[in-house]
Amino acid sequence: MATTECTKPGRQFTKTSPDPQHSEPWKRHIIRQLKYRDKAQKIVFQDVIRSYVKLLERCAQSAVITQGLISSPRLFPSSDDLSSLKTATGELAYKVLELQQEIKIKDTFLERQHTRLHDTQNSLMVVELEKGRLNSDVKKMTDNNLLLKSKYDTLRERYQHLDEVYRNEKLHGSDILEDMIHFKEQAAARMNHRNERRLRARQAGLHKELEVAASESLNTEKVSQSVSLPSSPLLHRNESGEVLERSPLRPFRSASVTSPRILGSIRGLFEGAVQDIMQIKVKSLRKKRRGNSVSSLEEDRYTPLVCLVARVPTKVIHAVDAHELGINAVRFSPQSNLLATGGTDRVIKLWDISSGMLHYRGTLDGSNEGITSIEFDSMGSRILAGSYDNSALIWRLDDSVPKFTLTGHSRKVTAARFRSNLRQVVTGSGDRTVKIWDLQRAACIQTIEVLSYCSDIVCSDYYIISGHFDRKIRFWDSRAASCTQEVPLQGRVTSLDISPNHRELLSCSRDESLQLVDLRMSKPRMAFRAEGFKCGSDSTKAIFSPDGSYLAAGSADGGVYIWNISTGNLETCLLDMHRTSVNAVAWSMSGEYMVSVDKSRCAILWSDI
Amino acid sequence: MADMESSLEFSSSLTSSTLPPPRTRIFKIIVIGDSGVGKTCLTYRFCAGKFPDKTEATIGVDFREKLIEIDGEKIKVQLWDTAGQERFRKSMVQHYYRNVHAVVFVYDVTSAASFRSLPAWIEECRQHALGHEVPRILVGNKCDLRHAAQVSTELAQQFADAHSMPLFETSAKNPQGGTNDSDHVEAIFMTVAHKLKSQKPLVLSQPANTVTLRGQDQDEEQRGNWGCNCWRS
Repeated sequence: MATTECTKPGRQFTKTSPDPQHSEPWKRHIIRQLKYRDKAQKIVFQDVIRSYVKLLERCAQSAVITQGLISSPRLFPSSDDLSSLKTATGELAYKVLELQQEIKIKDTFLERQHTRLHDTQNSLMVVELEKGRLNSDVKKMTDNNLLLKSKYDTLRERYQHLDEVYRNEKLHGSDILEDMIHFKEQAAARMNHRNERRLRARQAGLHKELEVAASESLNTEKVSQSVSLPSSPLLHRNESGEVLERSPLRPFRSASVTSPRILGSIRGLFEGAVQDIMQIKVKSLRKKRRGNSVSSLEEDRYTPLVCLVARVPTKVIHAVDAHELGINAVRFSPQSNLLATGGTDRVIKLWDISSGMLHYRGTLDGSNEGITSIEFDSMGSRILAGSYDNSALIWRLDDSVPKFTLTGHSRKVTAARFRSNLRQVVTGSGDRTVKIWDLQRAACIQTIEVLSYCSDIVCSDYYIISGHFDRKIRFWDSRAASCTQEVPLQGRVTSLDISPNHRELLSCSRDESLQLVDLRMSKPRMAFRAEGFKCGSDSTKAIFSPDGSYLAAGSADGGVYIWNISTGNLETCLLDMHRTSVNAVAWSMSGEYMVSVDKSRCAILWSDI
Repeated sequence: MADMESSLEFSSSLTSSTLPPPRTRIFKIIVIGDSGVGKTCLTYRFCAGKFPDKTEATIGVDFREKLIEIDGEKIKVQLWDTAGQERFRKSMVQHYYRNVHAVVFVYDVTSAASFRSLPAWIEECRQHALGHEVPRILVGNKCDLRHAAQVSTELAQQFADAHSMPLFETSAKNPQGGTNDSDHVEAIFMTVAHKLKSQKPLVLSQPANTVTLRGQDQDEEQRGNWGCNCWRS
């Protein structure tokens, strides 16, 4: 628009200029310039003006068209259009309704969904709660479980422990059972052994009686007739009336002779005996058998201090290295169930022999040097021993410490014996004295000078007999302290023993012989020697058997020699068990065991079963 | 100190003297049978005169003794109550049968098994007691439980006859149950003791130097009687 306005004035300006044609050049220049400028600039805008004009034309045209257009449609929308519109409207309305309904449905659905959502949320919350609860529960449970687990573990541990204990106990139990059976077995063996021993003792007793009866019959042949053994009790009775009552000739056997049980047993034997037994004078034995069944329990418990029958041992039951050094002395207790051994190792050992074996029971110590001799008192409750330390010692069996120590000798005590009153003790020593001690005062009450080294003594209440190295046995009256008699021998006396009936004295001397001295005549009665028997030392001990029928002594060759007194011959010789010289032997009062001890500390238990 | 104790120990044992050979005769009788048939109760009944309150399995052997008097002679009956269970008797069997004077076989009338194993016991006895025939008896125990009996008297009697043994049925608990005897158990053992006493004294198998005193033929005759007699109630 602005251009048009500009051009208009320009044209006006140029139209005015040609008038002054002859005017000044500058004016013409300007005019020319202006004309040029007009030309240049008019060309540029020519198109624009043209298109502007065209545009104006078109604009007017369109205005006419538009006017026509606006007015024309009002004539055409007729019934078609209306009906279609109406149907469209109807359709639309229906659609709207439908849509509205749909919306309603959707709404309700939505609502439902909402409520469901709500519900779900609620339930979710509940579930959350539940979850929380359960979580806590789980936690609790876990805790519990842990607790239980630890409890279980401890219980398990305990179980294992108890199981182990149980197994151990079971093992222990079976061990105990094993032991028990073992003990029972031993008990059974012991019981059998005891039964056998009783039976054997009975039979041995019967045998002895038979022998006695048989030998008696020879002595008294004129008085009574010898008859063959009757086989029926009736005959017995008839005959028993004829025979004379005989007073026992051997007082020391009287205990057995008058024992009614023995007689009863003999009758039993007789009744069943076969004819070939031998001719026997029946005599008083049968007379007395009427009272045979008077026996009692007390009889079982009675401890015989007189041995009826000693059985000669034949075999070794038990051998034991009893001491650490050589054994010098051995003794049985009067009840025969206890053995005491004394050795160079300064102690006395006690051994139980009730089960056929030597079982160590205890040690008595207190001696400062080796033991030389041992003696039990007649009650079996005290032990007296002589010692190399110049003293004699007394122990009670329930105490390992000596009750008395009797000191006063100046050399070793070789022998110590109880007197039969049990209140006094007599000791013999290498210092050439014999001392008598009072136990109530524990003091020496008498000293007897015995002129020579005293190797052994025996004593009763009234006399003392001592054996010496100057080859003499001396008899002393203990009240007067004077020598009443001397018995010369061929060698140094090593030991003395007195027979159970106190009528004979046994001595062992280094001339390898045992001498039997009759105490009533005070002279050697019989000498016992044997090939191979050799006195092993200056203190070798020889003994009587407890029934006084045998003598026993150990030899330097390790043998134990047993002589029969009635025949004067060697009864048996037990060789090859001791390796060294046998120092001492002891024979049990019950007659069934013998023990020998040697220089190489071995003790051997012998018996005949 | 140890010495002291051991000394004390043996001082007590000194009082019980074991060695003196007694003059009463001793009869060793062993009681044999299955476990639980009442051997212990039978022996206890005889020796103590009553039924034991409670018993446990015997291990090895138990000894029971009773002093009885027969015809004025005192006799000690030594009952060996043996173990029925094999594991408790093992190595002891030879001890049982050594120098035995009589054997008592026991079965339980309420247990057929205990009756069935009798032949095994008899065989064991035969093996161990070869040397001489010893009197044997058969005892059926627990006959107070008559209603539970599994072994009939007839069967037992047949068996006893077959082995020439006398049969006794009794009860250690209630002896009156099966008999009129005041004490049947005692009567049984007394019968055995009578039998043993009337026999010749048995001689041990022993060293050759012993004189054997035995009336052989007489023995035989008596055994015959013994086998045939049946004391029953």
